[in-house]
Amino acid sequence: MTVIAAEHLSKWYGQVIGINDVSVQVPAGVTGLLGPNGAGKSTFMKLVTGQLKPSQGTIRILGEPIWGNPALYFRIGFCPEQDAFYERMTGREWVRALVRLHGATESDAASLADRALEAVDLMPAGDKKIGAYSKGMRQRVKMAQAIAHDPELIILDEPLSGMDPILRRKSIRMIRDWARQGKSILVSSHVLHEIEAMTSNILLINQGRILAEGDVHHIRDLIDEHPHTVHIRADHTRELARELLAFDDVRSLRLEEEAVVVETTRPDAFYARLTELAASGSLGDITEVTSPDDNLQAVFQYLVKS
Amino acid sequence: MPIHDQSYRRYTGERRPAGQAWTVIARTGLRLLLRRRGFFALMLASWLPFVVRSVQIYASANMPQLAFIAPTAETFRQFLDQQSIFVFFVTVFGGAGLIANDRRANALQLYLSKPLTRAEYVWGKLAVLMSLLLMVTWVPAMALLLVQLAFSGSFAFLAANAWLVPAITVLSVIQAGTVAAAMLALSSLSNSSRFVGLMYAFLIFFTDALYGVLRVATRTTAASWISIGNDIQQIGDAIFRLPPRYETPWPISLSVLVALVAAAAVVLERRVRGVEVVA
Amino acid sequence: MNTSSRQPSTAFSAARIFELSLPQMLWSRRSILLALLVCGPMALATVPRGAWIIRPSQFTDATVGFDIYGLMIWLLYVRFIVPVLGVFYGTSMIADEVEDKTITYLFTRPIQRRAVILGKYAAYLVCTLLLVLPSAMIVFFLLVPVGGGTSIGVQFPVLIRDLGALAIGLAAYGAVFAYVGARVRRPLLAGLAFVFGWEPAMVVIPGYLKRLSVAYYLQALIPHARPPDDAGPPLIVVALRGLLEEPSALGAVVGLAVIIGLCLWAAGRAVEQREYVLEQ
Repeated sequence: MTVIAAEHLSKWYGQVIGINDVSVQVPAGVTGLLGPNGAGKSTFMKLVTGQLKPSQGTIRILGEPIWGNPALYFRIGFCPEQDAFYERMTGREWVRALVRLHGATESDAASLADRALEAVDLMPAGDKKIGAYSKGMRQRVKMAQAIAHDPELIILDEPLSGMDPILRRKSIRMIRDWARQGKSILVSSHVLHEIEAMTSNILLINQGRILAEGDVHHIRDLIDEHPHTVHIRADHTRELARELLAFDDVRSLRLEEEAVVVETTRPDAFYARLTELAASGSLGDITEVTSPDDNLQAVFQYLVKS
Repeated sequence: MPIHDQSYRRYTGERRPAGQAWTVIARTGLRLLLRRRGFFALMLASWLPFVVRSVQIYASANMPQLAFIAPTAETFRQFLDQQSIFVFFVTVFGGAGLIANDRRANALQLYLSKPLTRAEYVWGKLAVLMSLLLMVTWVPAMALLLVQLAFSGSFAFLAANAWLVPAITVLSVIQAGTVAAAMLALSSLSNSSRFVGLMYAFLIFFTDALYGVLRVATRTTAASWISIGNDIQQIGDAIFRLPPRYETPWPISLSVLVALVAAAAVVLERRVRGVEVVA
Repeated sequence: MNTSSRQPSTAFSAARIFELSLPQMLWSRRSILLALLVCGPMALATVPRGAWIIRPSQFTDATVGFDIYGLMIWLLYVRFIVPVLGVFYGTSMIADEVEDKTITYLFTRPIQRRAVILGKYAAYLVCTLLLVLPSAMIVFFLLVPVGGGTSIGVQFPVLIRDLGALAIGLAAYGAVFAYVGARVRRPLLAGLAFVFGWEPAMVVIPGYLKRLSVAYYLQALIPHARPPDDAGPPLIVVALRGLLEEPSALGAVVGLAVIIGLCLWAAGRAVEQREYVLEQ
């Protein structure tokens, strides 16, 4: 089942193109929309949620056009990126008031709001003014208003921004729970591993165009075919380099000050062997292992070049 | 071949003495405002009365039959009066967002985390608005004096009216200073420049309307001190040695303006803070 | 909730928006500031009232208090407070939500966008009526007895007419500026130009153009004598005033009702068709 269908969708603001001839079908389930800052993620989200009208092409949500079709919002919940609230209201009052706009009675709205606040772990702070909330609480109350009316499709624009690591983990778990309940979710981010933790189905967007769509492991495989750079800081770099040269998947190697930089074609196998080396302790301490390639920018650079 | 260091290098050049950071705020503020086409057009339009007056001066100097429109000291007083409408629009469109936009963007924290005191920040913003207001009052008035000098070809007028130079300066500074202080204080009260502009317009027109009621009810102009515009006009008449247009003594008008500036200072002291505590 | 729920009616949605917006509007800093400013006429009214209490003999004109009240209704309320409140709130109805970026929450609900502006308009009306009408009433109660020539009881019907005129004036200006706020990029400039430029000019020019102003109809509803102009009107204006016809009270009410209806309809259409791009 397709929840979002875009056909030759374009959106421009004067001379600036936000979305450029995008044709994509988003299936049910969790889909991650990935792209660097300025890629067009928020523009796409705004087109999907009917805040912007397409300049060209069409977009259908759950089989219906969204622009000028407010009835569709019964089935959609949206958590926007911006940090904007009615600061004087409490979290409970705010969520309740927004649920009332769906036609709920006073008592229904109260119980739906409470249920949503419970789901995002904000019940204890429900009667505090939003103006006094921390950043994480503000993100959570935004998510609460998106799910309170039990929508089929939830659209989350950078939902984890500003959250601490523990809250991120909780939110990711919550999103996966919603998916298990049968909801479809479109979540945008510029951090690959966060999206990977939620779903394997992703849309990659850059400069207003869709670069790739599908299973994230396939994208990962593409990265793996491309030589992967690993930066290793260690006590005895020369001895480490001698050991690493014996690995057959090491394509190249260079020495830097207190570090070895390796290019490998099979990063998973390489990391496994490196872990064994580090555990053995025979080459002294390995103090840091980083990969400048293991980020979205590298994926994009690779995809754009290929 | 020596390899040059490309990494970050600390600034080792000359530093300006402390207390001059407000000039950076003033320069940046002016540059940003004058870059806006609409605002620049407004500033240009504010010089149209100058052009008209220059024509008047030229005509009176070169056509004996038009000598009756020759400028007098009162001409310069009237010129400054006529510029009041531009003072209002420049204040609203140039001044409303000076602090309000910084508050909306949470930039006050950024500013005040630099080696910049609150006073310097306020002085910088005040300098922006006062510069703009002086550009529509003092600068064209002084230019008009020079035009008079140039077209008449003699120093006679200037010699006879040398007091015009300090008079124009003092009145322009009083007008610009009072209005700028009031607008800056209002701008610090809100995050919305639109609301600030409305508040300022409300203040000016409401005090005028109140005075209008009192004038008709009491059949005197003794309550003119209520209106800020009238206070400035009353002081202007006193500076230019003209018969006062209202019955309010000019020291009372001056006291009202001083009280307004003092109130503005109190508001700015309370509102220009790096952080705002939300209960 | 049922995913095939019926869309709430426009009236229901507007009522919910009204409930959401009224506390925001009423307890905002700007309303408190405006309430203080609207206290200006009340403070002014205490002066003659105080003088009347202390030394009644100084008042030679028996109806001076009622005359001053009429003057204040004209000069302060009708020509200033009512239109300026209309500009203040009317142009901010949608603009505030856009600036604060909260408009997203309202436009991603299953309600017609026009319900948002209708609900906000209703909140505006309640807020401004609560600010203006009590102020006018207090001014009436303070001033009318001054002079001793008339009483509150005798002039009470006049108060009712004044309050009605002020209420319909607030409704009309609010509707006009709701449309201006929804349609125009810089509504403040347009609002100030309309109130302080267009309207004073249109009212004195003969012809049909004056029917495109709210003041033309509103001034016909005020039972008090028009105040004299400030510096004495130019001869041409005096001459023109003599040629101007004023609508009847019923005609004025109908005219204002048409303005309100048209402007609210147009504002609803503008909001439904416009895209609101939020600042990043």
